[in-house]
Amino acid sequence: MRGISRRQFLQSAAALGLAATLPACRELSHYGIAIKVYLPGMQMGHALRGNTPMPNPKYERKVKVAILGSGAAGSFAAWRLKKSGAFGHDEVVIVSGPERFGNAAAGVMNGVGYPQGAHYLPLPSMASVHVRELLFEMGVIEADPFGEKPTYNERVLVHSPEDRLLINGHWQEGVVPHTGLNAEELAQQQRFFAQMQSMQHAVGNDGRKAFCIPIAQASQDAQWRSLDQMTFAAWLAQHGYTAPSLLWYLDYACRDDYGIGIKETSAWAGIHYFAARGGQAANASEGAVLTWPTGLNPLLQHLQQGQSLLEGMAVRIREQGDTVQVDVLHHGEVTRLITEHVICAMPLHVAAKIIDLSQYGFNPAQHLAPHAAWQVSNFLLKRFPDEAEHAPTQAGPQAMHDYATPLAWDNVVYSSQSLGYVNSTHQLIRAAKPANTVFTAYHAFDNEAPAAIRARLEHASAAELYHTSLADLGGVYGWDNPITARRYIEQVEITLRGHAMASPIAGFLNNPGVAALQKQSGRLLFAHSDLSGLSVFEEASWWGDVAAQKILAQR
Amino acid sequence: MREKLLILSVFIVASCGLAYELIAAALASYLMGDSVLQFSSIIGCYLFAMGIGSHLSKYVPEARTLDRFIEIELLVGLIGGLSATMLFVVFAWAAAPFRSVLYVLVFLTGTLVGMEIPLVMRELNQRKTDFAELVSRVLTFDYMGALAVSLLFPLVLAPHLGLARSALLFGLVNVGIALFTTKIFRNELAHAKLHLLRGGVVAFVLLGAMLGADKLTKWSENTLYGDEIIHAQTTPYQRLLITQWKNDTRLYINGNLQFSSRDEYRYHEALVHPVLEKLPQAKSVLVLGGGDGLAVREILKYPHIEHITLVDLDPAMTDLFTHNEKLVGFNQRALSNPKVKVVNADAAQWIEQNQQIFDAIIIDFPDPSNFALGKLYSVPMYRLVKKHLSENGLMVVQSTSPLHAPRSYWCINETLKDVGLYTTPYHAFVPSFGEWGFILAGKQSGYTPPTTYRVKTKFLDGETTRQMFFFPPDMQPVKVEANRLNNQSLVHYFEQDWSQVIR
Repeated sequence: MRGISRRQFLQSAAALGLAATLPACRELSHYGIAIKVYLPGMQMGHALRGNTPMPNPKYERKVKVAILGSGAAGSFAAWRLKKSGAFGHDEVVIVSGPERFGNAAAGVMNGVGYPQGAHYLPLPSMASVHVRELLFEMGVIEADPFGEKPTYNERVLVHSPEDRLLINGHWQEGVVPHTGLNAEELAQQQRFFAQMQSMQHAVGNDGRKAFCIPIAQASQDAQWRSLDQMTFAAWLAQHGYTAPSLLWYLDYACRDDYGIGIKETSAWAGIHYFAARGGQAANASEGAVLTWPTGLNPLLQHLQQGQSLLEGMAVRIREQGDTVQVDVLHHGEVTRLITEHVICAMPLHVAAKIIDLSQYGFNPAQHLAPHAAWQVSNFLLKRFPDEAEHAPTQAGPQAMHDYATPLAWDNVVYSSQSLGYVNSTHQLIRAAKPANTVFTAYHAFDNEAPAAIRARLEHASAAELYHTSLADLGGVYGWDNPITARRYIEQVEITLRGHAMASPIAGFLNNPGVAALQKQSGRLLFAHSDLSGLSVFEEASWWGDVAAQKILAQR
Repeated sequence: MREKLLILSVFIVASCGLAYELIAAALASYLMGDSVLQFSSIIGCYLFAMGIGSHLSKYVPEARTLDRFIEIELLVGLIGGLSATMLFVVFAWAAAPFRSVLYVLVFLTGTLVGMEIPLVMRELNQRKTDFAELVSRVLTFDYMGALAVSLLFPLVLAPHLGLARSALLFGLVNVGIALFTTKIFRNELAHAKLHLLRGGVVAFVLLGAMLGADKLTKWSENTLYGDEIIHAQTTPYQRLLITQWKNDTRLYINGNLQFSSRDEYRYHEALVHPVLEKLPQAKSVLVLGGGDGLAVREILKYPHIEHITLVDLDPAMTDLFTHNEKLVGFNQRALSNPKVKVVNADAAQWIEQNQQIFDAIIIDFPDPSNFALGKLYSVPMYRLVKKHLSENGLMVVQSTSPLHAPRSYWCINETLKDVGLYTTPYHAFVPSFGEWGFILAGKQSGYTPPTTYRVKTKFLDGETTRQMFFFPPDMQPVKVEANRLNNQSLVHYFEQDWSQVIR
């Protein structure tokens, strides 16, 4: 064993401590526009890479359940345990991890809240009972929570105008391209959506739905699952889908949900996007979504209400007899939790750093799914930009009418490689436009190797990051010109998520390592959307629910 | 002595010169919007024209400088003085040549004004004034004149006289200088008498125009702001414009008529009294919108009302109707009444964050002409409002026109019903708006319209009230959906309704 000097030890401990203190944040400026860059989890994550020795535990705390991670999975597990009444208040503790709320984090600038990650939840499917239960408790579902068509709180259903697409220089309503397209393209679109509609009802030989959210309840029928062996692009070609507008839209949809395009996405996952949900509402059309100014954050706020939260990051987990020891590092100090149950609710690539997963049947080198990198850019605006005018089609009432296409909640640019932008104040009811708003621009880095992207982003200049954040906004509002941009933009906050989500590439369904983690039943359980292989709230919360139910059953 | 008089004329001439420039720019901003563009292009054009005027001044023979100076003063007075009036009339007549006429007038005035100072300097030079002294004094007074008018115009003249009459006033001052100079230097002039005669004619024309300004602006009555603008203000939220023509004062917000002082009593009596007449026990009233204080004026007629809370977005609006002497005449100083609490906040936000309960709620929001405003008439919004209404209280909503916008009107009715309120629709004829609609609502059923009123009213009595609650065959309910946030049906109805009216 190689000895380390006391000095080296102190240095590395100090480095770790520093990493835990500062949220990885850089402040930059571009043409006088202040740009703040967050890299949540990066420094702490990287600190775990080397075999840095940890300081000795300073505090010790006995609990019954430790939930490691405060994202959707961990929060849902905590909520389920609390609801069961099986534990006292301080007997369950959530360890926040490097970023509280994970992908559902949110921020506030000048009193305007905005998402730093996920921003909407589709109407839950019939099978997403756990999600409906939560929404009913929150008052988001007002009536008939488990029926075919629940009634939703209108404040939370996305308000009209919901989305629009900039195509051939004009905005159209809706994101599926239709303006200026020939009959053949439109016919292909129709054929595709009809086929997806019929796939919604497809059932495997085990009597289960072929496509289902949660994925765990989907059919195991090999005939359907074989779709996972090819890419979505190959499947589309095989079925004669060639219309560029349709292919762009599907590519956009995959990038938006999975962080990868149709050329990499598993055909099963691609179809799943359209065929697995089908959630309906008594008071909204199919395909409606639920959203809050701060994205999905209110869901997690509700789940974490009244929970005991420990700030810091689990750096070591050890099963010892009837207990599990978890060392939590925060501000350079370690707290040792001695607990009966652990739910490891962190991404698997992080879990692999602090625990030997091979003992549970998961071999990181083999079983870790690729993770897509995302950039979420929040623009605090001094005022709303002027929207492009369209020719008046009819006379409006007096001078009341302007001919600008109204800003929608989600605004997408056709054939763009980026994912458009969302207006965070869209859901407010106000007599006047609010003085400030935040536009959230989403970008998934889908056409470079994820590892190369991460290496590049870590040291990217302000100009580079800013350029990416303006991929759509720059063209739409002329903000590529910094002088124009400065008239509107007060400040920019960029959140770089190097490992934003697992990408369901072809073959992702057949992952024995993940299957082994799903089946754990001991003191250490796993809960994360990584167990589904795709990153959506319903999946993450499903695994949180499953883990909590296992603990409740054990007692 | 005479030199000093010439220097004084420089001061006045410079003031007038700048005044025409400011008036043209302000007028162009009023009528065409985009004030930055209007101001810079007009100032640019004007300065350039002054350069040309300076250039042309060299062609004036040495012996005739004073004569030409007087002639130019008269011309500037005539053209500059009439410029604003002419522009109003041209704008009323047709919008297309307006811009051309504007720039021609600006160019002409600029050229003439550009000749003034060089001519005065040459005149002084002929009188053997020291050159350094001459340049220093002339330019000093030139710039001082500019300062004087640049303060006088926005603070005193534009608000009190209006644009047309300010221009005429400066025209008269120019003529005055011409006549004065003629009188002092009559021995040195070739055509002193002719100058006096011309000056008299121009002064007569300008005075006539000043007296007839009201009549002239009547020409442009059909255009949006043909009436004289007595107050114009751009606030962070909206553009407030108050016009006056004879005894008709009108408030426009972003170009939309809010009230006309001639018939607003019809609107506000109809808005307030069907609710309050039926609530003899009411103590507290909430008014959302209505920063003009006219609805509050009606509410204050009931002595048993103890508290009125008015929530209006724009402090500029409520300040104007609290302090402006002319405007408080209309609302009878309602907003200064100790019973009234004015809150400047976004009404929707205020109602979200406040818990107070009111016996009556009067909602006077702008028409639902866009998605943002449409939300103020939605199911969730009325749900919020309902929480603030007492069990036996009543509320009323300004609801567009059941005649011109039937789908919008009945959609608002449907939306109020959707949140479990019992509604009673009614309407009133307000000449400046047309047939206008209101919807009264409460948590209890069985509302019956008043047959008499305890307070003094100009429009309402038993018979008019009976007619207000009667819907003739051309205003029967149409089948529409409630306005929900995720479909915003009201905004679509409103657009369809009005597009058919305009055609």
